[in-house]
Amino acid sequence: MDRERQIKNKMITMQHVAKTFVTERKTTRIIDDISLEVKENELVALFGPGQCGKTTLLNVMAGLEKATSGEIIVNGEKVTRPGPDRGFVYQTLALFPWLTVMGNVCFGPRMRGISKKEREERARYYIDLVGLKGFEDSYPVQLSGGMKQRVGIARAYCNEPSVLFMDEPFGHLDAQTRYLMQDELMRIWEKEKRTIVFVTNNIEEAIYLADRVIVLTNCPTQVKKEYIIDLPRPRDYVDPGFLALREDISSVVDKTL
Amino acid sequence: MEQLDYKKSKRKYWLLSAASVIVFVFIWWFSTAVLKLAKPITLPDPVTIIKTFIVKLTHTAPDGGTLVGNTLASVKIALSGYVMAILVGVPLGVLMAWFKPVDRFVRPLFDLLRPVPGIAWIPLMIVIFGIGITSKIVVIFLTAFVPCVVNSYTGIRQTRDVHLWVGQTFGASNLQLLTTVAIPTALPFIMTGIRVALGSSWCAIVAAELLASSEGLGFMIQQARGINRPDIIICGMLAIGAIGALMTFLLGIVEKHVVKGVMHK
Amino acid sequence: MKVSISGAKEKTLRQMKAEEAAKNVLCALISIFVFCLVWHLGTRNGTKLGELLPGPVETLSYFFRGFAANIGTYTMVGHMIWSFMRVFIGYVIAMLIGIPLGVAMGWSKTANAIFRPIFEVIRPIPPIAWIPLSIVWFGIGEGSKYFIIFLGAFTAMTINAYAGVTSVDEVLVGAARMLGADEKQVFINVVMPSAVPSIFAGLQIALSSSWGVVLAAEMIRSSEGLGWIIISGQNTNNNVQLLAGIIAVGVVGFASVLLMREIERRLCSWTERGR
Repeated sequence: MDRERQIKNKMITMQHVAKTFVTERKTTRIIDDISLEVKENELVALFGPGQCGKTTLLNVMAGLEKATSGEIIVNGEKVTRPGPDRGFVYQTLALFPWLTVMGNVCFGPRMRGISKKEREERARYYIDLVGLKGFEDSYPVQLSGGMKQRVGIARAYCNEPSVLFMDEPFGHLDAQTRYLMQDELMRIWEKEKRTIVFVTNNIEEAIYLADRVIVLTNCPTQVKKEYIIDLPRPRDYVDPGFLALREDISSVVDKTL
Repeated sequence: MEQLDYKKSKRKYWLLSAASVIVFVFIWWFSTAVLKLAKPITLPDPVTIIKTFIVKLTHTAPDGGTLVGNTLASVKIALSGYVMAILVGVPLGVLMAWFKPVDRFVRPLFDLLRPVPGIAWIPLMIVIFGIGITSKIVVIFLTAFVPCVVNSYTGIRQTRDVHLWVGQTFGASNLQLLTTVAIPTALPFIMTGIRVALGSSWCAIVAAELLASSEGLGFMIQQARGINRPDIIICGMLAIGAIGALMTFLLGIVEKHVVKGVMHK
Repeated sequence: MKVSISGAKEKTLRQMKAEEAAKNVLCALISIFVFCLVWHLGTRNGTKLGELLPGPVETLSYFFRGFAANIGTYTMVGHMIWSFMRVFIGYVIAMLIGIPLGVAMGWSKTANAIFRPIFEVIRPIPPIAWIPLSIVWFGIGEGSKYFIIFLGAFTAMTINAYAGVTSVDEVLVGAARMLGADEKQVFINVVMPSAVPSIFAGLQIALSSSWGVVLAAEMIRSSEGLGWIIISGQNTNNNVQLLAGIIAVGVVGFASVLLMREIERRLCSWTERGR
């Protein structure tokens, strides 16, 4: 019931968003008229088949790419370009290789002109939160895959955005690390509640993490169906309710190569 | 609609480039031909250079060769040294990378010679072979040889163990592994070496002709300097640049056909 | 760490590496010795080549004596300094112009559209081909030498700075923007650091090319420098001096490569290669 009260304000509103790519020879429609809403502190998973426009959709929501038509409102403001009120965690990590863990995590506050003492203090808190205490001075090249993604999460959190976008953040990790990082994300999220939009191509991951799963179609992408996941947390991969949902969602997903 | 915007922005930059060239040539022409800021024996105007170019295509004065004749002389020597360098350098690099003993014995010598720029060999080769074609070909050979060896060596060393293991499980011999796994892996690198070597050979022939020669583009511009004819110098330089670019372009076409399975820019 | 091979005696990795290194050094010494022996035998009295060229002993002793006694007006060190200063001045000017130009061309499409065509005309002309024109423009003194060294270094620096800036990972730029960096901050904090390795590669190529160019310039017109040692050796039939000059060129070239590698190691410590 506590969650019910938390999830009430609209955090993200998308209305009739479409996106077309233009290249030398042709134009391709990637996103075809999507409208959706995300409430405050809700964790929404965007789930769809391999080559659908999930990442593009996320980039458009974040303001990294411009929508061809339609509008996106995040926390009451129209999204026109990238901004620090929205955090982003990348599948390809996108850590700055020339900065240490500390340098990466305090990058955002540094850009916004927060004093060195304050930003390092804040960065230390988040580095500790993601479990990387003691690695402040390491360079990304010295870290393992799971540790790098912890840095990515800490970096996004440290900027204290109202929304976090995650683009298949555990896509490159091996299966064991992936399970571990899913639990870690749950732990971090329980401690520091944020609105999260999470893109994944893994059904179990979507059901395991999300309050709500939005199933997307193939290109041009549209919303196929929405599922509210009201299983209690921590969730169990072999719980009958979980398996039933998995079965249900699998049956509606477009099958492609 | 969107397609149109895309084309428009491309055309905008293209026009900007064209305008930049026109402005550059105009300023050059205006300051030399009209304002006379520079004497013709320092910097002739662009019109004079075009005239000289046309005249020089058929006239042999003052250096005894037409532009075409000099170009052919330079290209002939540069290419012969270059081809020899490829024929010796590439196999040597491959052998050094594939056979440990060859590497152990040859590499120290190679490392001794490598830091000496090709140009430094010119006087020595003139002493040994005299002023003539041979000394120039040897200098070009030495210059082009280094990148051929270095790049083939690096290329072979890029061979991935996994690929070698695949070859071994299919029962390939050492020599078969070299020809079917290592050399294809190295091919893009080898081609890069061959491309770098082309640039170095072209540069070396010009240097050799500046120092000692009786024909060729380098000789032509050196002679033109002696008699204060900067128009011929600039013509020669533009010809040197154009021929160099043309050869690189042709090699690029060859490269595209030879190297498969990588993204070409 | 122990590496065990069944049946063979166990060796540590360090021992194996040391053995490998010892073998390499031994083979290197043998091959250099054989080279010198062939050189010695080929140029001994009475052979045809011997009339032209001095042997290794004579050449090396001339080279080392050059550090104490003058060759021409300077000692070997003096000539090295002359060549070095010429390279240094032309090279620094090229850095000051080439790197900003390449960066500007990579960062702004407009700058690229404006400078690219003129640059593409200059680029394929070997710097050495500029020697006659630079003598016409700047005379036979130092000015013309700085100018062609500048040209020799400039193109490689510009191209690599351009490549470094354009090859910046778009995702990193996006990440910085998402974290609140504005255009200027993206440029300083993302584009420039990620272009450093490429710019550095350009500096290395430029160094070896300007090293070749200074020799050519000195051979054509000068009265000091390593290029002069070689060419005056040829002109005065002093072939010992010629060979000693080539050795000096090799030594300086090798030293400069080592120096650049060390600087790269410190500057790009975060890359795989720098490590």
